[in-house]
Amino acid sequence: MTGAWAIATRELSAYFRQPAGWIIIALYLLLTGVVFSLSILVPGEPASLRTFFSLSGWLLLPVAPAISMRLISDELRSGTIEPLLTSPLSGASLILGKFTGAWLFLLAMLIPTGAYIAVLFRVSQPAPDVGALITGYSSLILVAGLYLSIGTLASSFTSNSTLAFMMTLFVILGLMFIEAAYANVPQFLRPAVAALMLRPRVDDFARGVIDTGHVIFFVTGTAWFLLLSVASVELRRWR
Amino acid sequence: MLLVDGVHKSFGAVKAVQGISFELQPGQVAGLLGPNGAGKTTTIRMITGFFLPDQGRVLIGGFDTIDDPQRAHTRLGYLPENTPLYPEMRVSDYLNFRAKLFGMDRRARKNAVSHVLSRCWLKEVQTRRISKLSKGFRQRVGLAAALLHNPPVLVLDEPANGLDPSQIRETRQLVRELASDRTMLMSSHILPEVEKICDRVIIVAAGKVKADGAPSQLIRDAGDQGTYLVQSKGGRPGDDDRFSRIMTTVPYVQTARRTNPDRAGEVMDWTHWVIVSRRGAPDLREAIAHAAMQNGIMLRELRTDAVTLERVFLRLVEDADRPAAPTDAEAAPAAPTDSGAAS
Repeated sequence: MTGAWAIATRELSAYFRQPAGWIIIALYLLLTGVVFSLSILVPGEPASLRTFFSLSGWLLLPVAPAISMRLISDELRSGTIEPLLTSPLSGASLILGKFTGAWLFLLAMLIPTGAYIAVLFRVSQPAPDVGALITGYSSLILVAGLYLSIGTLASSFTSNSTLAFMMTLFVILGLMFIEAAYANVPQFLRPAVAALMLRPRVDDFARGVIDTGHVIFFVTGTAWFLLLSVASVELRRWR
Repeated sequence: MLLVDGVHKSFGAVKAVQGISFELQPGQVAGLLGPNGAGKTTTIRMITGFFLPDQGRVLIGGFDTIDDPQRAHTRLGYLPENTPLYPEMRVSDYLNFRAKLFGMDRRARKNAVSHVLSRCWLKEVQTRRISKLSKGFRQRVGLAAALLHNPPVLVLDEPANGLDPSQIRETRQLVRELASDRTMLMSSHILPEVEKICDRVIIVAAGKVKADGAPSQLIRDAGDQGTYLVQSKGGRPGDDDRFSRIMTTVPYVQTARRTNPDRAGEVMDWTHWVIVSRRGAPDLREAIAHAAMQNGIMLRELRTDAVTLERVFLRLVEDADRPAAPTDAEAAPAAPTDSGAAS
């Protein structure tokens, strides 16, 4: 675990050392700021970030692939993967460290959104529901984890970070649009398609409902993509 | 200390390494030589565990890189080709990060980083970003990272690649110092460097070991095939063919060829030749001079060419590049089997 934590902290600090990290934060705050100003900070509406949390899947769509695209692909491009994989670090520790670093960066990116909560508490009467805020942020963190794990896998396939970005984007878009396919798939496939839908799960969290099934869905989904990433990295040794 | 036992590696249809084996004893410094595409880097990557061999095994300090990679890796320091580093990091931060990957605690990290900073002459640049360093300094950072955990085995892939002559001299001095107390394998294109640093040379070509031994031994083994450098008066049409024909009639002479067929650098029609004798030939200087005199050819230089490691290397590599002559078994028609079918 020491190795994984070393990778995670190096990764996290690398985001803040490069302009790209700050641009990603600015982009996300711009998107969320627009949503907050136009859809939440509306006179007469209840004080809630529900719209923000419901849209979290879309708001993270351009941001999560941008964070994850260079996780492994940059190491492959620059050759720094070689000293990493020839150290006592296992492939699992490498992936876990990379993912954790990206996730921590994304969590750091969410910190400024606390300003929206402060504004709501200041201007709204009654005050926002704290429970819904906690579950909303929980869903945000879980969705971000799933997206980043998809991005980690895509990044392990190629040394081209743009290609990794596109792969991640299209897989996430596929998950987002699977809902649209629901009505058009054969009856026997509908339970499987319904199980993969993200929006109903995120909406439940945004309403303040914590469903253990939803938590398990995001955690196992993330774990699966990370396991595939470990396999992808380890298979490189056998090429 | 380092055992490479019959390793094979293919990439699709390309057989990059075909059964390379050698063993390095503690304290031995070996050079891995070969032309581009010979399988040097693939062999090194199998030793370091970056690639796993299709067949064969690699033991580092007695630990198998497949069965026990963690323990094998803790006994290995590795400087990959082109020294990949994180340009945005500061030198000391990078070394600290590398030390963490080897599981060192805070105090051990501090001591190890301080030790390698001074050992690799990096104290003055320890707070500089890696992106701001010259290539020579980056190479030293890579070496420092490879030495952090004080490994008994050090593998360096082209440590002098891309360096200018003064940086090569600095790196050579550093590598010599490092070689004093550990087992080392280094690949290089710069043969005089290898000759100066290594007490053993392994020459690979086409994925196989072509020669293995001390540089002096390889040179001695190749020394029975003499080479003579000659300058003859020529320049008229047909002179070259005539000289070549006369010289190949001298007993034991194998070939006589122009060193520069386009005559670059030749002055006043003095033609430069390399005459190679057969193995086991006596000194042919007198015979060459006699043949030239008898045929009215004026010579102004006739000397033996000392055998260098470079010559040994080139000869082995050229031999490997030549298409193999059919063996007796291949040349012979297939013998019918009992069933009447050719196998």
